Amino acid sequence: MQINPFQRQCNILDYALSSLWRRKLKNAGILVIFSLVIFLVASFQLLTRSLLGTADEILAFAPDITLQKLSAGRQVDMSEARLAHLAGIFGIAETMPRIWGYYFDETNGANYTVIGLAEEKIAAAGFPLTGQEETGFLKRGGVIMSPAVRDNMGLGERRAFSLFRPDLSQVSFRVAGVFSKETNLVSGDTILMCLEDARDLFALDDNAVTDIAIYVTNPLEIDNIARKIAEMMPDTRVLTRSQIRKTYQAVFGWRSGFGSICLLSALASFVILAWDKASGLSQEEKREIGILKFLGFETRDILALRFWESGLVSGLALVIGLTLAYIHVASGGALFQPILLGWSVLRPELFLTPALQFSDFLLLFSFSVLPYLAATIIPAWRSAIIRADTVI
Amino acid sequence: MIIQCKHLTKSYIADNKVFKAVDDVNLEIANGDFAVILGHSGSGKTTLLSLVGGLTRPDSGDVLILGKGNWSQGDKYLSTVRNKTIGFIFQFASLIPTLTAKENLLLPLYFGSDSRADREQAMVLLDEVGLADKANSFPAQLSGGQQRRIAIARAFMNNPDIILADEPTGDLDEETENDILQVFKTFNAKGMTFVVVTHNSNLAATQENARIMHMKNGKMTESA
Repeated sequence: MQINPFQRQCNILDYALSSLWRRKLKNAGILVIFSLVIFLVASFQLLTRSLLGTADEILAFAPDITLQKLSAGRQVDMSEARLAHLAGIFGIAETMPRIWGYYFDETNGANYTVIGLAEEKIAAAGFPLTGQEETGFLKRGGVIMSPAVRDNMGLGERRAFSLFRPDLSQVSFRVAGVFSKETNLVSGDTILMCLEDARDLFALDDNAVTDIAIYVTNPLEIDNIARKIAEMMPDTRVLTRSQIRKTYQAVFGWRSGFGSICLLSALASFVILAWDKASGLSQEEKREIGILKFLGFETRDILALRFWESGLVSGLALVIGLTLAYIHVASGGALFQPILLGWSVLRPELFLTPALQFSDFLLLFSFSVLPYLAATIIPAWRSAIIRADTVI
Repeated sequence: MIIQCKHLTKSYIADNKVFKAVDDVNLEIANGDFAVILGHSGSGKTTLLSLVGGLTRPDSGDVLILGKGNWSQGDKYLSTVRNKTIGFIFQFASLIPTLTAKENLLLPLYFGSDSRADREQAMVLLDEVGLADKANSFPAQLSGGQQRRIAIARAFMNNPDIILADEPTGDLDEETENDILQVFKTFNAKGMTFVVVTHNSNLAATQENARIMHMKNGKMTESA
């Protein structure tokens, strides 16, 4: 009685599994290396996707339009008086003058981002906070900082601290609140304070600001309003939220692409190794195929057997690699954070949710399982056409 | 005729010289025959067996099994013939070293019926060759003779029409050899056809109805 094709494939699969198990040491070695390479590539892919997702969430807090003054191609301070010009543009819901600068903490060896906002605007800006100890508007002398800045300064439970003006005289502050961890990607090194305090710290003129945040009533009108502002103030740079998002995508995409190319080279090396390994058939393997042939295995059965073996190894490696990558990214992606986030002294502490899209899975499948199968197909054919009389 | 060989020729090249291992052999084996082909080492016996079993392609001539030419059909047909119609016993045990005795025995079932009865048949055959207690042993844990007996049992697994045996009792002790020959006799009595190549003329003597043929330098002659 002849068995049906499905049962036949099941039997070949059964033999393939037992064959893999019989050479468990060799196959385990391949599986470990292959899983590791897939883990590295998948981690990059998942981490990039996750960072972009996190950046999108953070950008929800960003203004619709940011206005900056340029001089000789560089950003310079501008007068708060420009707010009056903006009042004439229909569709602007709110304007928020800001001071955005960087403070180097020589004692602790870190750069902080200092943001100054008008007292009455800070609550409106909607920053998610934890441990807020003062309610209402941020008063003069009060700051909100990231947990990383607080830890870097070694404040602990203390709330009072000082920063230096450019002339090295000191300004005293107190910690009024701490940013919540969800905003860490953009607020990891941030100290938020009143506009006047920021001016005092950086020794700026009384009505100087570094940029103006603009909120628009109708999101569909953002580009129109940005164009109007640019026409009205040709000496300014007008950044929309979508442009900032594109910048994030470009930065993370470039870094991820660079890393992926390096790792894909590792993958290619592994596939070449797999090809080399599979090409050389040992006497024992030849003899086994000869035995299978005289017992009734066809050439296509041997091919199917090799296909199942390669498919099982590469498929399992893909599952293991992806699972490990998912766990790695979910736990912060420590291996690749320095590459993807840059080399700042205060690196933001991230809580990432890995997002595996079907396109990512397809990409990884195409760059791992398919090349492995392709690399083993000719060696498989070579073994399949071994003559049945080899065993004699 | 269950086996017909027509002008079968097979040559090999050794040391830049053409060596005719099988030279224009014509052979007819009827259903239920016990054919013994005697000859010294290098006379071409093993090559003939390989040609008959469809393991080696002849240079010229053809082999017909149950009236169908081996090499005029495709790979699928030949594989089915090897799986269903012919059981092979080689000079060497030809077991897969990483499978147990029972697993080796069950290998031909991969493409045959896969019933419980067949699996039970494996144990019956192991018992017949006296190795039921070695079912879970690996070849390396068995002696050469025991490995040979496993290979012999495997040849009977699919209840084939023909058994092609190459020196089947080569490295067996006398008692085991007699047991194996008794197994051959039993299956032959049931109508199974045997083609046995050997240099051991005693083997032919033990089978009352055996057809005795001789091979020398690739040529075949049959005893009266």
